[in-house]
Amino acid sequence: MPRLILTLLLLCAAAVAQPVAQTYDLLLAGGHVIDPANRINSRHDVAIAAGRIARVAPSIPRDQARQVVDVSDLYVTPGLIDLHAHVYGYSGALLPDDTHLPAGTTTVVDAGGAGHRSFDDLRARIIDKSRTRVLVWLNIVGRGMLGGQVENNVEDMDPAATAAKIQQHPDLIMGIKTAHFSRPGWASIDRAVEAGRLAGVPVIVDNNIQTVMQRSTREKLLDRLRPGDLHTHAYNDRQIELLNRFSGDVQEYARQARARGVLFDLGHGGGSFLWPVATRAMAQGFPPDTISTDLHASSIMIPQSDMPNCISKLVNLGMPLDDAIARSTSAPARAIRRFPDLGTLGESRAADVAVLALREGAFAFKDAWGKKFLGSRKVECLLTVRDGRIVFDADGRSRPEWSTAGNYEVLP
Amino acid sequence: MNLSRRSLLAGLPAAPALFAQTTTIYDLLLKSGQVLDPKNGRAGRLDIGIAGERIARVAARIPAASARLVVDAADYYVTPGLIDLHAHIDAQAEGSSLQPDHHCLPNGVTTVVDAGSANPANFEAYRRQTIARSKTRVLAWLRVTGDDTAPAAEVAKKHPGLIVGLRSDGPRVAGLPVMAERAGGLRSGDVLTGAYPSGGDGQARAARKAGALLDTASFWFRVAAPAIREGLLPDTVSTNLHKGSILLERANMMTALSKLLNLGMTVEQLIERVTVAPARVIRHPELGHLGEGAPADIALLELQKGKFGFLDAGHARLDADRRLRCVLTIRAGRVVWDSEGLSLTDWTNAGPYSNFK
Repeated sequence: MPRLILTLLLLCAAAVAQPVAQTYDLLLAGGHVIDPANRINSRHDVAIAAGRIARVAPSIPRDQARQVVDVSDLYVTPGLIDLHAHVYGYSGALLPDDTHLPAGTTTVVDAGGAGHRSFDDLRARIIDKSRTRVLVWLNIVGRGMLGGQVENNVEDMDPAATAAKIQQHPDLIMGIKTAHFSRPGWASIDRAVEAGRLAGVPVIVDNNIQTVMQRSTREKLLDRLRPGDLHTHAYNDRQIELLNRFSGDVQEYARQARARGVLFDLGHGGGSFLWPVATRAMAQGFPPDTISTDLHASSIMIPQSDMPNCISKLVNLGMPLDDAIARSTSAPARAIRRFPDLGTLGESRAADVAVLALREGAFAFKDAWGKKFLGSRKVECLLTVRDGRIVFDADGRSRPEWSTAGNYEVLP
Repeated sequence: MNLSRRSLLAGLPAAPALFAQTTTIYDLLLKSGQVLDPKNGRAGRLDIGIAGERIARVAARIPAASARLVVDAADYYVTPGLIDLHAHIDAQAEGSSLQPDHHCLPNGVTTVVDAGSANPANFEAYRRQTIARSKTRVLAWLRVTGDDTAPAAEVAKKHPGLIVGLRSDGPRVAGLPVMAERAGGLRSGDVLTGAYPSGGDGQARAARKAGALLDTASFWFRVAAPAIREGLLPDTVSTNLHKGSILLERANMMTALSKLLNLGMTVEQLIERVTVAPARVIRHPELGHLGEGAPADIALLELQKGKFGFLDAGHARLDADRRLRCVLTIRAGRVVWDSEGLSLTDWTNAGPYSNFK
């Protein structure tokens, strides 16, 4: 008798668990999922409901989804997170949506375009108007990244006011940026770190380290920055700071800094990805912790130094694709302390997804100084999902063929 | 005559023909490309020598030694820099407009005509902030609303090379063509833009009857496909690039051309409609061709075969087996886009990097 009840119960449970048609809004079917945070690197389906990841499993019945998009032969990854981009303030700033969504980048962190005085304007003009998730590194300079005079004005570097602004917007401001400081001494870095201490957030610091500035990279990395702070433009060549000028070896202080938790961010940009540095650093096992573009108006014309391009370059220098995806998703999410909300395809997380192709062939890649590297693999974004909606679809695979679509106006 | 003109253009003293073969007289030489230059009636394997900002020579064979930089164009079409007659452009990306350079230059577009961001009141600011600050040549259809056309006439008179006509639903200024989305009132020299809208091709047929030209801008496959099949071809191909069209519709020039290619138009027909035809509309006869002495605005295009798809303005898909892709763009003699590194040195042969000892 008890066995019978148990059987009945099981049958009822099975009935309840029967696939209810169209549980999901969207099913990305048959792709190779790379979700490093959840240790997935194989063929899986990804189901999305109400703007969230609902289920990731080797096989999800297609009739459970209102829309099925076949992505077999393609990679499905968390939406890419560009930790260092320029979408406001800086003279070469690019709008996020038309620049980043076609690259599979669903989250960008603006790197210091605004300071505490201009954040509200950044929010009104860019954050609130973009489909891309726009987060912010707040410039330690109150007025933001407005060029030499403004950025060298130590008087406008107010740790308390900066920290206060961050505490008002913890959901949008991830930390503090300092860059382009060309006066001697440590004022900008120390004040940024002080603001970071007050607000409990990391700082990201550029590489404007020159001996005439009475600053050294060694001191910056080992004494001034805290664990969790970021050094960006890691593969730059200013002062040969990552590599020893004579031996080409990765500097011991860089390894020590990494050991103490300072993060090295790529920040490709217009001057910070150079083959002689990148090839040597990669060959010696010193990859960037986070892959980012520093994308702006002139660097985007280095064809086409967006996230897939930066990922491709590192893959051609020997980084496994799943590792490169980790450094473009979960690693930056951790660096901005938004993991696991962002950077994973975990169930119930925001449905920000990139669908990528890995092409084989002969491809030219260009560094910041206009020299070419011939690679054999190239990552390309074919489809982008942001908050559960398909916002970019290079081949139109999610849409009906026109002759079957009737007298359509604009299809949803 | 040819030689002295060429030398003049190169900014060098006239040299005897004897030295022309051995002296470096071109800054850039495009070698063996499949040239398409409809205005000059050229189509075939030709070399193009560029000196400074201008095309210096077009000939069957120009010695590689005569150029500082040689680009092997054998795998590509070499066309005049493309002209996009209808886009929404603003250097600050105000309103629905987009920044020009990173949407135009990677698509071979060296001249873009803004379709209505500029009006008589803001044109001076537009000129300073967008036209003067862009690598892409930005021209404008001046937007006119209301019946007082005097301010528009004044601004257009002041900037004849920059203002190509009016974006207007009625009011006219003598001597300026009009671009509009309705055929009513259009005449010869005017442009009906959006020739294949969701409402059908009725406006296009009326406009053509009136002698106006048909410009594509955004279009619906269900309208364009039958119209093109019946011979109602566009006179110019444009993108209608703006914030709302760039993502799903991918309103860039290579996509616009690829769609029409797969709807049955030929590469030759298409290139004519994005070079000499729009140049005529905007009355810039120096643009849209590869004649000697013309500005060196040039695109190298690749015809790819494979399995592709394109979305129209209504987000329905066209299955396609060919597409055009821009691999290299030259604007005023300078390489501004080079996706295949055709003009670049491999880093391992580059010698010491300028900063890297």
